[in-house]
Amino acid sequence: MLKNNLKIAFRALSKNKVYTFVTFFGLTVGVAAALLIFRMLSYELSYNKSFENHDRMVRVVSEQTLPQEGESYTVCVPIPAMDVIMDEVPQFEKITRVKEFWVTTSLPDPNGGPPLKKFNMETDQTAFFTEPAFFDIFQPEWIIGGPAEILSEPGVIILTESFASKFYDDPAQAMGQTLVLDNVVEVEVKGIIKDFHDQTDFPVPFLSSWETMKAHRNYFFYDENMGSCSSNNQLFGLLKSQDQLEEANTVLAGISEKLYRRENQNSFRKHVLQPMSALHFDERYGHSGTHRTSMSRLRILGIVGILILIMACFNFINLATAQASLRAKEVGVRKTLGSSKRQLISQFLTETALIVFGALIFGLVLASLCLPLLQRISHVPEGINLFSDPQVWLFLGGLSILVTLLAGLYPSLVLSRFKPIRALRNQVPGNLSGGVALRKSLVVLQFVVAQGLVIGAIITLLQLDYIRSRDLGFSDDLVYTFGIGIDSSTLEKQLPLKQAFLEIPTVEKVSFNSDQPLSGNTWSSNFRYDTRPEDEQFSINLKFADTDYRETFGLSLVAGQWYEKSDTVRQCVVNETLLRKLGVERAQDAVGKSLRLGASRKVEITGVVEDFHTHSLHQEHDPLMITTRKAYYWEAGAKIRPGNIQGTLSAMQKAFDEILPEQVFEGRFLDENIAEFYADEDRLATTCKAFGLLAILISCLGLFGLAAHSAQQRVKEIGVRKVLGASTTGIVGLLSRDFLKLVLIALLVAAPLAWFLMQRWLDNFAYRIDIQWWVFVVTGGLAVLVAFLTISYQSLRAAMANPVDSLRNE
Amino acid sequence: MGPSGAGKSTLLNILGLLDQANSGSYQLQGEAVENLRERKRQELHKKHMGFVFQAYYLIDDLTVYENIETPLIYRKVKKAERQAKVAETLDRFNIVAKKDLFPHQLSGGQQQLVGIARAIVAQPKLLLADEPTGNLHSSQGEVIMDLFKKLHREGMTIIQVTHNEKYAHYGSRIIELQDGFIRKDVALQTPASTYSKQPQV
Repeated sequence: MLKNNLKIAFRALSKNKVYTFVTFFGLTVGVAAALLIFRMLSYELSYNKSFENHDRMVRVVSEQTLPQEGESYTVCVPIPAMDVIMDEVPQFEKITRVKEFWVTTSLPDPNGGPPLKKFNMETDQTAFFTEPAFFDIFQPEWIIGGPAEILSEPGVIILTESFASKFYDDPAQAMGQTLVLDNVVEVEVKGIIKDFHDQTDFPVPFLSSWETMKAHRNYFFYDENMGSCSSNNQLFGLLKSQDQLEEANTVLAGISEKLYRRENQNSFRKHVLQPMSALHFDERYGHSGTHRTSMSRLRILGIVGILILIMACFNFINLATAQASLRAKEVGVRKTLGSSKRQLISQFLTETALIVFGALIFGLVLASLCLPLLQRISHVPEGINLFSDPQVWLFLGGLSILVTLLAGLYPSLVLSRFKPIRALRNQVPGNLSGGVALRKSLVVLQFVVAQGLVIGAIITLLQLDYIRSRDLGFSDDLVYTFGIGIDSSTLEKQLPLKQAFLEIPTVEKVSFNSDQPLSGNTWSSNFRYDTRPEDEQFSINLKFADTDYRETFGLSLVAGQWYEKSDTVRQCVVNETLLRKLGVERAQDAVGKSLRLGASRKVEITGVVEDFHTHSLHQEHDPLMITTRKAYYWEAGAKIRPGNIQGTLSAMQKAFDEILPEQVFEGRFLDENIAEFYADEDRLATTCKAFGLLAILISCLGLFGLAAHSAQQRVKEIGVRKVLGASTTGIVGLLSRDFLKLVLIALLVAAPLAWFLMQRWLDNFAYRIDIQWWVFVVTGGLAVLVAFLTISYQSLRAAMANPVDSLRNE
Repeated sequence: MGPSGAGKSTLLNILGLLDQANSGSYQLQGEAVENLRERKRQELHKKHMGFVFQAYYLIDDLTVYENIETPLIYRKVKKAERQAKVAETLDRFNIVAKKDLFPHQLSGGQQQLVGIARAIVAQPKLLLADEPTGNLHSSQGEVIMDLFKKLHREGMTIIQVTHNEKYAHYGSRIIELQDGFIRKDVALQTPASTYSKQPQV
C-alpha cells in the first residue's frame, strides 16, 4: 500500500509541476526560516545551562528605589552587606564574592627588560577576583593544580587553558610562572582550568583571589564603605534546593530592611535573588557576557518563525484544495473502485509527506547556506553546523509530522469526502464553497503578517537612520580611542606619551580621560549647587578629563571657558541640562558659581558646555559635570588628520611601545564604538527586512495558487463574458480586483497592529521619529503591486484564452 | 432503456450503492440497504459490484496494469495473488502487450476494455454498466457487448444502461423507464436469468 501510494504520489506531483513547485518552494523557504529561528532560539535558551548546578545557582542583586528616578536595578552589593548576607541566609549551601576586573597581563623578562609577552583581555572578557567557594558553585574543571583553597591566598592566578596557551604552546608550562597584572600586581600561576563553556555569560580568561585584590585595595578601588556600591562587586550563591528561592528572598528582605532602611529615608535598597536561569534574559541588570537577550524578543522571534511556517502550510492547504476540483474525478473513480475514505486520506497524505520530506531536506540545505545571515541577526557564532546537530534533526523530525498533518489533513479530508457520483460529474463546488472563504482568510492572514513585518522593517530602518544622522553634539570623526593603565608609573608617562603622539604630524590632539563623550559607563554623585542649603533631589553624572578633551572630541561651549590644568578635582564645566534642571536660566549666570560633590570641597564652574549625547539615544540627556582627576584617566582619545590613517596608527603604536613597553596598544575609532550601541537595533532591522521579504514571497505563492484556482473555476464564466464582448483588460481587472481587495483588507488589519507595536518599540528611545502615514501607504502600495504582478499571469492567461475551448469542455 | 432524464443512471447508481433512494426500499441479499450503515454499504459495494462508465474513467496517472490492479489493492489482496489475477485478466482481454501504457495512449475501445477488465478483476457478482458503448463506434461497441455476453454466460449479473436498441437485446430482460417509472418490463427468451433482487423505483 505504502509503496503504491508513494508511486502514485510521485506521479501526481510530477504531473502538476507548477503546483508542486509552488508548494515545494514555499515550504522549503518556510522550513529554512523556521530552522534558522529554531537554531537561534535553542542557542540563546541553552545559555548558562552547561553549569551542572545551574538550577540552584543565583546572583544577589539590588533593587533600588530612588525618590526622583524611580526603580533602578543593579548587580552590586556593598562589601559590608556581603558579609552579612554570607552569614545570615541559611538557604545558601555555598556563597562567593566576585569582583570583576580588566587588566593587561604580562610575562616579565627575568633580566629586567620589557616583558616577553603581554596580552589585553579580549573585548567582552571579564576576569574575577573570587574565593574558594567559586569552585563549588561554578565547578570549573581543573587541568593542573588546585585545590580551590588556593583562592584564599593572595598573589595567585588560575588561568583558563586558552589564556595560558597564549603564553606557552603547552599550557601546562605556565604552572608556577609569575605574571604581572597591569604592571602592578605580581601573581603566581597556581592552576590551569578548562575554559568556561561558550554559551555562558561568564567569558572568564582567568581567576585571581579576593585576597590578591585586597592586597592592592587602592589600585582596584576596594571600598568597604556601606555607601559605595560598584557593579563590579557581585555575590553568587548556590541554594541548598531550587525551591528555597522564595524563602531566601524573604530572609534577604529582612536583611535589607535592617541594613538600609534607617540610613536614608529617601532611597531604599533591597536585595533579591536572580536565578541563573534568568541571568541571560533579564535586561535590567548589568552582565559580563557578550550580550543578553530579552525573553520577549525570543518570544517574538519564535512567533515569527511559527507564523512563517504556518503561512507555508497555508499555501499547501490553499493549493491542495484548489487542486481538489481537478482531482475530483480521480477521487470519484477510486471510490467506485472500492476505496475507503481512510485509504484515500492516506494516499493524499503520502503526497503531502513526499513534498514535506523534500522541503525539509532542501530547507536544511537552504538554512545552512543562510547561516551567515543568521550571524548578522543574532549572536549565534560562526562555524556552527546544522547537519551535525542532533537537536536540528529532532526538530526536523517533529516538523515533518506536524507539517504533513497541518498541511495535508484538511485537503485530504475535503477530497476524501467527495460523493463519488458528484465527483465524477465534477459537481464539487458545493463541497468546496466553505473552502473558498477559508482560503481567502488564509491569504488575508498571510498578507497581514507580511505587511506587518514590512512596516516594522521600514520603521526600524527609519529610526536607525535618524539615530545615525543625528548630531551627537560632539565629533566622532577620526578619533582613535584606546585604554591605558593607571598605575602610578604609567600616569607619570602619560604626558611624555602625549608629546610623542603630537610629534607625529598627522596627530592633531590627544586627551586622557575616564570616558568618551558617549559611553556605557555612568558615574554619578549627589551634589549641592552654589549656596543652596541642601543636596539636589537628582544626581549628577561625572566625566574626568584633561584640558584637551574639548578639542579632541569637538565639544562646544555656550558660556565661560574650559577649566585649567589640574591633577585633582578643582574646576569643572557643566552641561545645559544641569542648568535647566537647576532652574538657572542664563548659562552665563552659572559661570563662577560652584558645585559640591557629596561631602567634598567646592568645585568652581568655569564654563557651560552645549548638551551632547552621553548615552545611546535610548536615554535623555543627563545633567553632567566634566572635571579633572588624573588618577581616573584610563582612556585616551587621539584626533588624527585624514590621509594615511594606517601610517598614523603604526607611528602611534611605535611611540606607545617605546614609552609603555609593558602595555598593549589596542583601540578603536570612536564611530565604531558608537555603532556598537545600536548593534541590537541593526540586528532587529535586518531581521524584519529578511523575514518581511520572506513573508511577502510566501504570501505571493499563496496568492498565485489561489488565483490559479479561481481562474480555473471561472473559466466558463470568462468564456461566456468574452463571447458577450468583454475585453481582455476588463477580464484581467475582474479577476484581479477580488484579490487586491484581500491585500487591502490585510493592510487594514496589519497597519494598526504594526503601528501599536512599533510605537511601543520607539518608546524605548528618548530621541525617536514619529510614525508617518506614508509608511503604511508605501507598504500597501508595494503589496498591491507585488500581488498584482503575481495574479496577472493567471488572469492574463485566463483572459486571453479562446472562449470556444473553455466552453466546449461542457 | 429510456430517454434522457428518465432516471436510468440514477437507478443504476442506487443499485450500485453509490446513491440513496429518496423513497422506497432496496433489498440486497435479503437486507434493506437503506437501513444499513454507510460502512456496511461500502463493504457490500466493494464486495459484490463492479462499475463500467460511458467515459471509461480510467485513472490518468496509472498504467493499464495499475488501473486494473487498483480495486484489488483496495480489497487488500496480497501482492502475489494480485499479480496472478491481473495477469490472468490481461490475458483474457488480450491486452497483455498494453499493460505498461497509460490511458491516453489507448483508443477509446481499448480504454473501455481496460475499464471492464478493472471492473471485473475482483470478481464481482454484479456488473453495473452506464452506457458503456456511448462513446464508441459500432464495431468497438460490438466487441464490448460480446464480452458482456461471455461474462454473463459465466454467471455474472450485468445491468446495462443504454440508448441502443440493438445492444439492449444482448440482455435477457429489458426494463424501459420514463420519468422515473417503469413503463415496460420484457423478459427475453435467452439464458435463464439469475436476478437476485427486484428493484423498485
